[in-house]
Amino acid sequence: MEIQELNALSPLRAFDESLNGGLGKGNLGVLVSRHGIGKTACLVHLATDKLFRNEHIIHVSFSGNVEHVINWYKEVFRQISENRSLEDAAAIYNEILANRVVMNFSQENISVDKVLSSLETLIRQGSFNADAVMFDGYKLTVASEDDVRKIKQFAMDLRLEVWFSVSPVRPDVIFDENGVPNTIMKYANLIDVLIGLKYNEAMDKVIMTLVKDKESIDPKPMRVTLDPKTMLISE
Amino acid sequence: MPEISKMRNIGISAHIDSGKTTLSERILYYSNRIHAIHEVRGKDGVGATMDSMELERERGITIASAATNVTWKGHPINVIDTPGHVDFTIEVERSLRVLDGAILVLCSVAGVQSQSITVDRQMKRYRVPRIAFVNKCDRTGANPFRVKQQLIDKLGLNAVLMQIPIGLEDRLQGVVDLVAMRAIYFDGPNGDDLRYEEIPEELKDLAAEKREEMLDAVSLCSDELMEAMLEENVTEEMIYRAVRKGTIALELVPVFMGSAYKNKGIQPLLDAVVSYLPNPTEVTNTALDLDNAEQAVVLKSDENMPAVILGFKLEDGQYGQLTYIRIYQGKLKKGDELVNTRSRKKFKVGRLVRMHASSMEDIVEAGCGDIAALFGIECASGDTFCHPSLNYSLTSMYVPKPVISLAINPVDKKSADNMAKALNRFTKEDPTFNTYVDPESNQTIIQGMGELHLEVYVERMRREYKADVSTDKPEVAYREAISLKAEFNYTHKKQTGGSGQYARVAGYLEPIEESDEVKDYEFVDMIKGGTIPSEYIPSCDKGFQTAIKKGTQLGFPVVGVRAVINDGAFHPVDSSDQAFQTAALGAFREAFERAKPVILEPVMKVVVEGPTEFQGNIFGSINQRRGVIISSTEDGASCTVESEVPLSEMFGYSTVLRSLTQGKAEFTMELAKYSRVPQSVGEELKTAYIEKKKKEQK
Repeated sequence: MEIQELNALSPLRAFDESLNGGLGKGNLGVLVSRHGIGKTACLVHLATDKLFRNEHIIHVSFSGNVEHVINWYKEVFRQISENRSLEDAAAIYNEILANRVVMNFSQENISVDKVLSSLETLIRQGSFNADAVMFDGYKLTVASEDDVRKIKQFAMDLRLEVWFSVSPVRPDVIFDENGVPNTIMKYANLIDVLIGLKYNEAMDKVIMTLVKDKESIDPKPMRVTLDPKTMLISE
Repeated sequence: MPEISKMRNIGISAHIDSGKTTLSERILYYSNRIHAIHEVRGKDGVGATMDSMELERERGITIASAATNVTWKGHPINVIDTPGHVDFTIEVERSLRVLDGAILVLCSVAGVQSQSITVDRQMKRYRVPRIAFVNKCDRTGANPFRVKQQLIDKLGLNAVLMQIPIGLEDRLQGVVDLVAMRAIYFDGPNGDDLRYEEIPEELKDLAAEKREEMLDAVSLCSDELMEAMLEENVTEEMIYRAVRKGTIALELVPVFMGSAYKNKGIQPLLDAVVSYLPNPTEVTNTALDLDNAEQAVVLKSDENMPAVILGFKLEDGQYGQLTYIRIYQGKLKKGDELVNTRSRKKFKVGRLVRMHASSMEDIVEAGCGDIAALFGIECASGDTFCHPSLNYSLTSMYVPKPVISLAINPVDKKSADNMAKALNRFTKEDPTFNTYVDPESNQTIIQGMGELHLEVYVERMRREYKADVSTDKPEVAYREAISLKAEFNYTHKKQTGGSGQYARVAGYLEPIEESDEVKDYEFVDMIKGGTIPSEYIPSCDKGFQTAIKKGTQLGFPVVGVRAVINDGAFHPVDSSDQAFQTAALGAFREAFERAKPVILEPVMKVVVEGPTEFQGNIFGSINQRRGVIISSTEDGASCTVESEVPLSEMFGYSTVLRSLTQGKAEFTMELAKYSRVPQSVGEELKTAYIEKKKKEQK
């Protein structure tokens, strides 16, 4: 299969459709779940889909291990290219690699200002024309409202689509039936898209619920789910 | 002769400037091999004893590994000092091959740096058990706890603190030994006198906590210790045994600390070498039996078995050629007869010596597991010497291909003679260093692993061999490849009186699919019905092999090509080996042009480390060099940027980086892969190649 066909058939088209054409630049999107549901895989799949469509991605991680993140991308790419028997996969992988930078902050409690200034340095001085930034494992639920506002402003100024994956681990957090923690709702007005991930045992799938889409807060299930085996988004 | 169970062969391996040479120097001092301490860039102008080459003294780096023998509390220890710069990796790899254990030296401020990661990967490849030494604890910003955590996070090692510091930075006084639970201070002008005391009051809680952590980790390697912990009757001996077991099995990396420069923590480190690193019998070494289809044979550390010896290092000293050897099996006496299994030449062992960094001691025999040196043996580095009854070869060492070349021209006749001598020596010493004479330009070309690698050899020619040479600009070792399948049908015919030549070959060329292991060349014979007689098939193969030596675009070797022949024709009288070789060569050239040839260039993995404030400059400098930023990691005030950059863009980068970052950033690079050059760059290269050829013809 060629890359154009793969993109057209991608389950991510259904994902975008659920969002009325995608998140859009200047907006903040959040994937939220309990720990260990597969939010990183989900985020990497979103990013890989963008890379396939020639977009430039910055993946921000706070784990201290870059190798780990790079392996996620390798694995997601391998699964997609094998499923669809992608032609010339090795060459395509090398090509899209040039459009992805992993930025890792291993220092504890790094300030949002510092993160944003490093991102801006990469975009401006490194001439990296980023289309989207993926924040993996950012502690959004304990960030200050001011911080979130700064990120939103940054996304608008630099015309970026910004995604977060969030899974609070504090024991006092309460998750609702869609897998959304109560602690996130205080930012609801700053977030443009909020998607909850929750494992459904009967279906053996991770259900994705669109909790908030731009102006409307009316939770409805999305057409796509997350396959717990491959950790990929599927229809 | 020393008892083998007491013997240790260790290496000291680390990032450049983490104080490795200073540490080696202290080890020599405390084990009484030298009587005074000289600093690497010392004011006394003597230089550290281990850096025997003049050049190393001047540049403050260690180039060649010198092996030296010391004795610590009745244990003979062979210390191999290894170079830290990545351009000299072959030296590091070669010394790792002969080590049984290693000390990984880390700077307490900089922690695990990119170079440490490279070195650690090499150690993993050769399964070398190691202990870590966190050096420079007297420096501002020292934090051995953070370094230990980095060993876990960045290198994936099960690092366990065996000590904690008493004071840090300029208040560093000594260390607390978490096994014996006592404080150790280092008194006297050179820290010679050890004073043991109670743990200071303010450190008691921390020491107890870290001891618990240590015991938890160590007990996983030993059932005996685990049980003793449950019954609460742990003895020091049990801990020593468990740590030793874990370290040798590569399950554990005990961490020690101190400051070599301030003479703190060295003696306990030497104790640890003896306590935790293996003796030669505890490491399995294998050789390949050349008489038995290269079957792997496990060598036995037995003095009565026939000898198997590796020559791992050559040095041209003032007394002639010196070969450093490691004895893997059997023993070696003056007058013994050995065979070099590569050249099949027999020789008698003349002078046998044990080496100190710049002096030596004559010995009569060397035992199993020992490291010594021989005089006047004709051999190359990496050769195996065996008892005449055996035909073993010690596993060949991994040798990377050179990525850069440089044309050198001697300035006068005398230099030309000396240069030849020097090159002859260097190629024997260093398998990553090649040399040849370019038949077209008649220039001598040297090839190696990086700019600095070649620079050092040019310097050495000048100093050691009095060979003055001028150099051209360094050139990248490109490769050529094809991207499409293309058919050929080529007839070679010459029938002009006398015996003629006739051969026709038909078939196709195609790229070999990219996989983990890319083959350079493959020949497939699909001839049916004898259209080419079987005696001429090898001639076709040979013809293709000649053709791939030089591609038509830039004259660089062709890689990743499969040549398939499926048809042809011959003449009963005029066909010959030569005719078919010529036909194959012609067929290749014909098809190669149509197979959409591409140029491949070496792409380096470049890792830059520096203060965060210069991150933008670092990004910019990579971007300007056709580089791809893979990742950037920020950790407090410093950042590490990993990228892939074509080698051709990296010339002079060290100077650029220095000026961009006020000398505060450093970088390392190693070959990552070969990639296609962008078309515009390819065109430029081709034009330059054509120009050059034209000039040569004039």
